This record gives sequence, structure tokens and C-alpha cells, in this order.
Amino acid sequence: MSEIYQPANEVEIAQYVYDCYQASRPIEISTLNTKPIGRSIQCSQTLDLRKNSGIMEYAPEELYIKVKAGTPLLEILEALKKNKQTLGFEPVNLGYLYSGKSNFGSVAGTVSCNLSGPRRFKAGALRDHLLGFTAINGKGESIQSGGTVVKNVTGYDLSKLLAGSYGTLSVLTEVILKVTPEPEHSETLIIHGLSFENASKIFSQVLKTSLEVSGACYYPSNNIKFLRLNDVKNTASVTALRIEGPKQSVNERIQNLQKIFSEYNDQTVLEVYQSNLFWKITANLECFSNSPNLIAKISLPPSVTSKFVSTFAEDPILRINNKYFLDWAGGLVWIEIDNADPSFLILEKMKKFCIEHGGHITVVKADLNYRRTGLFISSNDENIKILSAKVKNSFDPKSILNPGKIYAGI
Amino acid sequence: MSLFMPEPDQQTLAKASSIISQLRKISKNVLSEEEEKAVYETDGLSVHRQRPIAVVLPENTEEVSKVLKYCYENNIKVVPRGAGTGLSGGALPLKDCVLVGLGKFNKILETDFENRCVVTQPGVTNLAITGAVQHEGFYYAPDPSSQLACSIGGNISTNAGGVHSLKYGVTTNNVLGVEMVLIDGTIIRLGGKNLDPEGYDLLGIITGSEGLLGVITEITVRILKKPQSVRAVLIGFNTNDDAGNCVADIISSGIIPAGMEIMDKPLIIATDNFAKAGYPRDVEVLLIVELDGTETEVNTLINKVLDIANKNKASYNRASESEEERLRFWKGRKAAFTALGVISPDYICMDGSIPRKKLGDVLNKIASLSKKYGLGVANCFHAGDGNLHPLIMFDSNNPKELKKAESFGADILKYCVKVGGVLSGEHGIGIEKRDLMCEMFNNDDIQQQLNLKKAFDEKNLLNPGKVFPILHRCAEEGRVHIHKGKTRFPNLPRF
Repeated sequence: MSEIYQPANEVEIAQYVYDCYQASRPIEISTLNTKPIGRSIQCSQTLDLRKNSGIMEYAPEELYIKVKAGTPLLEILEALKKNKQTLGFEPVNLGYLYSGKSNFGSVAGTVSCNLSGPRRFKAGALRDHLLGFTAINGKGESIQSGGTVVKNVTGYDLSKLLAGSYGTLSVLTEVILKVTPEPEHSETLIIHGLSFENASKIFSQVLKTSLEVSGACYYPSNNIKFLRLNDVKNTASVTALRIEGPKQSVNERIQNLQKIFSEYNDQTVLEVYQSNLFWKITANLECFSNSPNLIAKISLPPSVTSKFVSTFAEDPILRINNKYFLDWAGGLVWIEIDNADPSFLILEKMKKFCIEHGGHITVVKADLNYRRTGLFISSNDENIKILSAKVKNSFDPKSILNPGKIYAGI
Repeated sequence: MSLFMPEPDQQTLAKASSIISQLRKISKNVLSEEEEKAVYETDGLSVHRQRPIAVVLPENTEEVSKVLKYCYENNIKVVPRGAGTGLSGGALPLKDCVLVGLGKFNKILETDFENRCVVTQPGVTNLAITGAVQHEGFYYAPDPSSQLACSIGGNISTNAGGVHSLKYGVTTNNVLGVEMVLIDGTIIRLGGKNLDPEGYDLLGIITGSEGLLGVITEITVRILKKPQSVRAVLIGFNTNDDAGNCVADIISSGIIPAGMEIMDKPLIIATDNFAKAGYPRDVEVLLIVELDGTETEVNTLINKVLDIANKNKASYNRASESEEERLRFWKGRKAAFTALGVISPDYICMDGSIPRKKLGDVLNKIASLSKKYGLGVANCFHAGDGNLHPLIMFDSNNPKELKKAESFGADILKYCVKVGGVLSGEHGIGIEKRDLMCEMFNNDDIQQQLNLKKAFDEKNLLNPGKVFPILHRCAEEGRVHIHKGKTRFPNLPRF
């Protein structure tokens, strides 16, 4: 059983990490509720950040919020909502994936995973919204980088590195996030019954217009039953295009979309309430709620997504029928892979495809068996691995922070 | 002008001629004559000049790799250079270095509209990228004022911004991938045409690293579709505070303009004389707000902005009624640096970034410093994102004035840090602001950055003497910033 330590502030965290550094004792870093993400690691010590919590600075007109790293993300979103603001990258609520119910977790956990929701292709990723941080590196030293301003070229942009580092470089103690105004209005055009090829064509076509679509996703007919919204049929595939902005402009642009895609006549427009709900469900990966299977995220150049889907997700002849959906206007595939094949042969084939086509596949949820032995990310580039090991070493020379969480041996 | 730089390595200098002949075996473009090297002795920060041992202009990635590998094996310093328009001295050569110029990497390799990206060599200019895709209605968003001349590779080095970065982000938010060469000659690729590379975000670290981590040889950037409608409004104010409050109120109301620029009176007059932009001459501060989107959206937003301006005692306003008029509004602002050159023999351009609410405060401070130093100053700001560019005017024929101008600049930047800002918004640290880094960071912060540098370049051969203070000087000048009461002084290597 791992020993859990819950320091209340940065000084206590620094002292604890310093002691572990001196004793060469590895630490697993946890925040509110451990979501078993990344490779499985075995540490005798768990550092739980939940007590280092609270909003430190928030002035809406400055468009940033500074918080302690253990702050629940929900608390931040609620504070922003009071001022009609939000986090532009639409944070992913992984609670549904792991436990079937909402659990955003802490801001430190969110930052460490660098997962971004449907608005990502328009508004940028989480890493683009992390303006600065304070953290304790693997020697127990407090380091800071960035600041509260959006334009900043003052030394290396360490924020980018810490976002998505799964707690392997430093223990975050304070985080500064850029905030954005909530869109005044939002509506979504739904087109029913399209094939994934046609949906991909629509995505490509719509991004060549000036209509500023801020959400573009596709649910195939085998992954639609979970959707329970009044105006969305859950029997045929769903292609969804979101428009946000001032009300009149949204209406005009929705009409424009309807005109452009008038050849597809099974259309519905979701008004603001249902539209918001639809994208929340999408950001939260609710289609995979409580799935017992392996869930992976595939990032590809949008032009090869169709080929990926036809090879690995939908092929009536080969009887391939993996549950998936497309997001980011085709730049992202979320897919479920059956645990029944413990060797995960199909996953290996997907990795090969992704590498050959300039993309990658990341395992986001897996059972303990896979997490102990399997690869978490797909890159097989030795030079990148060597460089990544050196980067890890520069922050955490004794490899005591979440060792092996991303790469085995790093 | 004396500048404290890393001590030249005498052994390297002694074998200069053999280095040149070895480089000639790798590349046919090696410049070693004094007059050839003179072109490369400085960048946009022209008060500092130094000629390198040789200038190499490689033609492909393999050549870059071989040059770097040779330098690595022989412990020779390397300074990379893009178009040489940088304003912080990031491309200043060292006496004992080989300068690697990327000027021959001047081709756009692919325009890919399906994936909405452009693959380009690093020596291509920023504006040429938009030029290559505008026939399909696309553009590349970051637009530094020097976009006609500055290279996209240099933009990555300094994480360049521009007037539209409030809404569309700076370089780091618009780069998808790079191919780069590490100092030992290893060629790596980071990212590509897809979003969000996996593993550590090394691309994010390379962007803004000022040529200290590797030499970039290929770049993939994302391109955006041009908005349906774009209009700009000129708004005049009588005080800095009114203008500052107006900016804050626009943002608080939930509007994110495509651009929001401030100029003060000296610059209004100078740019209007130069560019005939049609600016009002009886206002103290001029705000340019640009809004884009659908036509309805833009018109709605313009009315909201004008309402807010009136509430903040605006004394003048005019919204552009045609594309021609909008471009005229920008012509003055984009010519700010050139226009100032007409009225002052020399000027230095500062680049702090501050919280928006401090705009009025910092402008007032700059005015009082201007009196203290007896030097004129003109201000342009990217007001929307708090990035200020005070232009300090002086005469370089008077050696005392340069020194005074530099102290004036340093005081402005220290004040920026004091009010919660940073030393550089988009120009980079280079040599210009290197010794001010201790104002922002403590020794542990800087040591962490130096350790990261070692992960890429253990021998510290790539662009040494830039960005980080040569630390014993930092302490000598009493500038060590004490962070959160900590006063530890670990033994820092003198990178």
C-alpha cells in the first residue's frame, strides 16, 4: 500500500520532494481522484495535491485566472461562468470515461494531460491556454515560467513542456490559465445519416469557408444510442457543425450552412440549450461512458482520417466494427478497442498506420494488464526518445516524479 | 559599444583557416572574406557588431547537419541566423563562431488546403506564406510589422507576434511541426500536419528558444480562412487613462477584437506625416480597433465598441467604410518604426508585456522617465495583449546618449516586471535584455532553463551568450531578484 502525503502549500510540497530526492524515493503524484491514466507505476509514496487548492487571482478583464494546482477544475469553471467567461479549449471531463459520472478532477491533472475538447481546432489546445506556472522540480526546487500576459518570450516556454507531461517533470503548485469570453450564442446544425466519407468531405469543405465553425464532429450509427436529445435521432449517424457568436450572426451562418449542404436533406438545428448539451456530451466522451475496453485517441492529418476509419473502424466486408467518433473537423478519432484480444494486435496495426501517415495514437484508458506492459504513446523515434529522456533528466535527475508514466524507463 | 560576451576560444581562433577549409568541403557557400562577412556582422540591433570566423549558407538539411556535426566534434560555437531582422541581437555573431545563415532555405515546399497548412523552408518570409495561399482565401495569422522581410524560421526563434495575435495567437499557436538539426548533427522531426504532438511538447520549447536548442530546417504552419468582413475604427482620447480604461472595458464586455493598437501623440504625428493615414492630430492617444467576422457581426461589434469609447470620453472616432480606408488606418501604424527614423537619428525599440489594467500607469511612468533622462520617446502598444513598444529616441553620434537610452530602456522593462509583466512580448531576449533576466527569475528558475539547454546542447555551443545572464555579472551588479524570500546561490555554471 502506498503511503499518501497531503501537503497544504508549496513550501511543504517542496520540502517533501526535496526529502524524496535526497532519499531517491519515487513518488506517484495524484490530485483529487486518481484516474488511472498513463502507464502503471509502482511507488511507495503518493503525493496528493488536493489541499493546495484555491483561486489566487481572477480579474475578468485581464483574461486570466491564477489558481493553486490542486483546485478542482469545476470550481474554476463555476467562477468563470459567473463572469460569462470560460476556458476556450473546452476541458475534457474524463470522469465519464472512468466512472460513468462527471469528475473533472483538478486543474493540475487537467494541465498534465493536455487534453482539449471540440473547440480545439479553432481555439487552440490546452497548452495554448497555459500562460505560466510555478512548480517543484525533481530536486525540490521551486521554479516558475511564463506569467499572466499572453505575449511572452522571456526564456524557454516551459509551460508548453509541462502541459501534457503527466507529472513526470515537476509537481505543479500554481497555474495561470488564459480565459475567454463565453460565446454570446451557439447553435448546431445536425445532418443525419451520412457516411464517414461524406462527413469528412463536409468538414474539409466547411473549413474552406469563412463561417468560423467552432465544433465539427461525427458519430457513426453504431455509436449513437447514448445520445438522448429531443432533436437528435439516435438511429442514424450524426454529423454536427457548431456556430458561435452574436445571435444574429449565428442565425445567418447556420442558414448559410444549410444552403451549402442542402443536398443532405435530413437536417436539424439545435437551439442553444441542446447545442451546449450536445457539445458537453461530446467533450466528456460520454459515448464511451464506463467502457470496460481500451480507449485511444488518434491525431491525424484530417485528409487521412477517412482511410484510418475504413481500415480500422468501419469495414462491412472485413466485419470491422469498432466504436469510434470523429472530432476536430476530422483531425481526431476517438476509438474503443476490445479487451478480448489481450495482445492488442489491432492496436499495433493502428500505431503503424499512424506513424506512416504522420500522426499518432495515444492510449487514454486501459486495464491494469495493458498499463503494466503496453506502450502508452506510439512514437518509435529513437532520437526523440533519447532527447525526451534528457529533458526528463534536466527536471528530475533521479527520476522520482511519476517515473515511467509516459515512456518505460524514463 | 562594449558588450560582455563569452570569452573567445583562442584555440579555435588560431585554427580559423583550417576551419574554413573544412567547412568548404561540406558546403560550397562559405564566406570568409571580411567584406563578405560584414553583411552578417549584426542584425536588427545594429549597435552591436561582430564578424564570425566564417559564414556558411547551407543549401539543404544534410549540409546543415554536417556543418553542425563538424562544429560539435571540434568544439566550435555556432550562431544560427534567419533574415537578420531581429531586434534583440539574437543573431549577433561571436568572434570565434561559425554563423549558419538559412537564407538559401527560401522555398515553400507545399501548400496543403485539405489539411489547412503550409510546409516551408525557414528562410521564406512571413508575408510570402500568406502570398502563397491567398488565392484560395487563406492567410497565415501572425503578422509582425517586419513581415515583408523577416523569415518564418526567425519567427519561430522569437515566437513572433504581431497586431492580430490577441485573437489569432502568436507563432507558437500557429506552428504544427518542424524539422530541425541538433548541435551534434542529429536530424529530428517534431509534429507535422496533425494537431497536438504526443509525448513531451518539444515543439513548444523550440518555439521562442532564440536559436539556442537547434537549427530549424523545415516548418509546417497552419493557415486560416480569411474572415468575411474586416473593419477598423480609429478612436481618439485626451488622456492615457481614458484610453487604457476603454481597452479594459472592451475586453470586459466579452469582445475579442482582431487587433487593438495604441499610439501616442508623437507617433500619431510622425506616422501621419509619413504615411498620410488620415489620423486626427488633436488627440493625445489614438486607439485602432479592428473587428472581423461576418458582416452582421462586425457591424454589431463596431457599434458596441463605439458605445464603450464614448463612455470613456473619446474625443474622436471614425470607422472604416471601405477596405481601402481600413488599410490606410493600418498603413500609419505599420510604418511606425520607419516614420520615427525620419524624425530621430536613432532609436531603440523596447518590447515589454504588461497586464492590460496597467497600461495607463506604465505610459505615465514612461513619460516621467523620458523627462528624467532628457530623451524623447514615442509609444506604440499592442494594447489588446498588453505588449508595449516604447521607441526611445537618441543620437548615436553622442556616445553618452546611447548609454542613457539603454538605461532608460532597462528602467522601462524593470517597471514592466514590477507591475506584473515580462521583459519581452515578441522580440526575444537576445543580448539586449539578457542581463535583466534576473529581474524576473531567481537562480533556480534560470538554472532549470540552463539544465534544459544542456539536454539539447551539452557543450553549450549553440548561440552561447544569448538569453541567459552571464551570471557573475548579474550578481556583481546587484540585480539578483529575490524570489519568495529565497536567497540561495547555488554554484551556477557560467553559461
